Amino acid sequence: MGAAVKAELLKLFTTRLWWGMAIAVFVAGAAFALLFAVLFTSESLAEQSGPGGIPTGDAVQIANSVYTGGLSVGYLLMLTIGVMQIGMEYRHKTITSTFLAIPRRARAMLGKVVALLIVAAMYGALSLVGSVSVGAIALNLRGADAFPSGEIVRTLALSLLVLGLWALIGLGLGILIPNQIAALLIGIGTAWIVEPLLGLAIKASDFGRDHVAPFMPTEATNAIINAVQSSPDDVRLAWWAAALTLAGWAALLAGPGIWRTVRQDIS
Amino acid sequence: MTTGARVEIIGLTKRFGSFIAVDDLSFTVRPGRITGFLGPNGAGKTTTLRMLLGLIHPTSGTATIGGADYRTLPHPLQVVGAALEATNFHPGRSGRDHLRVLAATHGIPDTRVDELLELTGIPAFARRRAGAYSMGMRQRLALAAALLGDPGVLILDEPANGLDPEGIRWLRGFLRHLSRDQGKTILVSSHLLQEVEQTVDDVVIIANGVLVKQGTMAEMQGGGGILVRTPDPDRLAAALTERSIESGPDRGGALLALTDDLRAVGEAAYAAGLPVWELTSKAADLEALFLDLTAGGNRNLGDGVTGQEGVA
Repeated sequence: MGAAVKAELLKLFTTRLWWGMAIAVFVAGAAFALLFAVLFTSESLAEQSGPGGIPTGDAVQIANSVYTGGLSVGYLLMLTIGVMQIGMEYRHKTITSTFLAIPRRARAMLGKVVALLIVAAMYGALSLVGSVSVGAIALNLRGADAFPSGEIVRTLALSLLVLGLWALIGLGLGILIPNQIAALLIGIGTAWIVEPLLGLAIKASDFGRDHVAPFMPTEATNAIINAVQSSPDDVRLAWWAAALTLAGWAALLAGPGIWRTVRQDIS
Repeated sequence: MTTGARVEIIGLTKRFGSFIAVDDLSFTVRPGRITGFLGPNGAGKTTTLRMLLGLIHPTSGTATIGGADYRTLPHPLQVVGAALEATNFHPGRSGRDHLRVLAATHGIPDTRVDELLELTGIPAFARRRAGAYSMGMRQRLALAAALLGDPGVLILDEPANGLDPEGIRWLRGFLRHLSRDQGKTILVSSHLLQEVEQTVDDVVIIANGVLVKQGTMAEMQGGGGILVRTPDPDRLAAALTERSIESGPDRGGALLALTDDLRAVGEAAYAAGLPVWELTSKAADLEALFLDLTAGGNRNLGDGVTGQEGVA
């Protein structure tokens, strides 16, 4: 098991993908932290908040949002890594040598899952180094409280989990949609465009807003890290319920994907 | 140094929908020998090898290595080394790193990786990205990957493909060394008979997924009759007929006796008081035999049963 994980990590770190991602994750963390720190502490905005559609929140939510601002880009990068981890194997047919070395395929796939969680935690830590350092300085300069509550620490830890779960969603997508490019376009398109639009439509009805929208992956992601809300009417899950919801999405996509990989003929 | 186990294929069948890629195939690969697995393109060779290696699930039948299913081997790379397709490398990863990834799955040290790169003659190239490799380098890298765990059984799919004549000669010597000196079991597939003719000890020929012939190379090469030259072919022919050996005239006034028994022909000539100028066992024209055995139409051409290139 440990050997399978080690081999999977080595696979990632022996191609150029990983450091490109590392730079992107770090820069996104720092840049969004700066942007949000300035935006959410802007007095003119705070006064007209709420009805005007400007995101609002208390000091904790603002700090959460600043430190996890890069997450919206970060989790899509993890989705990409998840898709590519398996997509590359199909595309370059290295899946053959992977399963020759570890013919118990469930074990090989478990190695991939664990490696993805480790990689996501590493990238998450890197993103936090960027966002917390830049964000805390920016919040201090704007006169806001940089660490209003111990809840911040929980949020930071949970943001690592969020990244791991999105990587697993990517793994599932990468298996179920064997064409790597299509899997990436569909995955990112769904997360960024389809889901928000769908969310708007669902929220048009009270039932949808209360019982469907909170369980959408992106909504759940925002609930886990307790970010600022764009509308005070939105119903949010508790952080743990949201974490379970996102884990459910990851299981829903990665589970059948792994099951299929274990059974299929590799030719 | 690990000596080889026996590879046994029994009643192996694979259906893809209505297409039967491999049909009730049975043969054995013996340790310490090189077995050539021959057949035209699309005959089902790769599908058979992939079933043996647990990559494709057989519809029925079994394929075992030393009595075990590949998928049950705890450390497969130390039992079986396989080189299936030489193109299966991530273009952005160096050949050396490809081997290191494989080595990591079995806790094999990087020093073993470098040792194999020396052995296969690509230590310098292996540090470059695999995308720039020539076919010959890919073949050598695939062979290095197969040998990583020092397995007793080697399964090589078209290993000579893309090698230059020098490379083919090197491969030949290398495989002989592994089988004769180290007692490994080696199964080599090829669609070209002359590529393996000088290397293999045993031959298994399949066509359209069905076993056509199997035997030792010596058996395959025999059966061409015995060529004998003597001053009076007619008298020798009569003497042979007495011993119930049929014969007929050959080129240049020689006689072709339809037997493999050199001694019987020599004794017949001696008994008839005829001097013998030449007495040679005539090798069968293997190329013609191979074409003959695998004739009857390639199912992948023309008759509409196409689209199976990926599996065959």
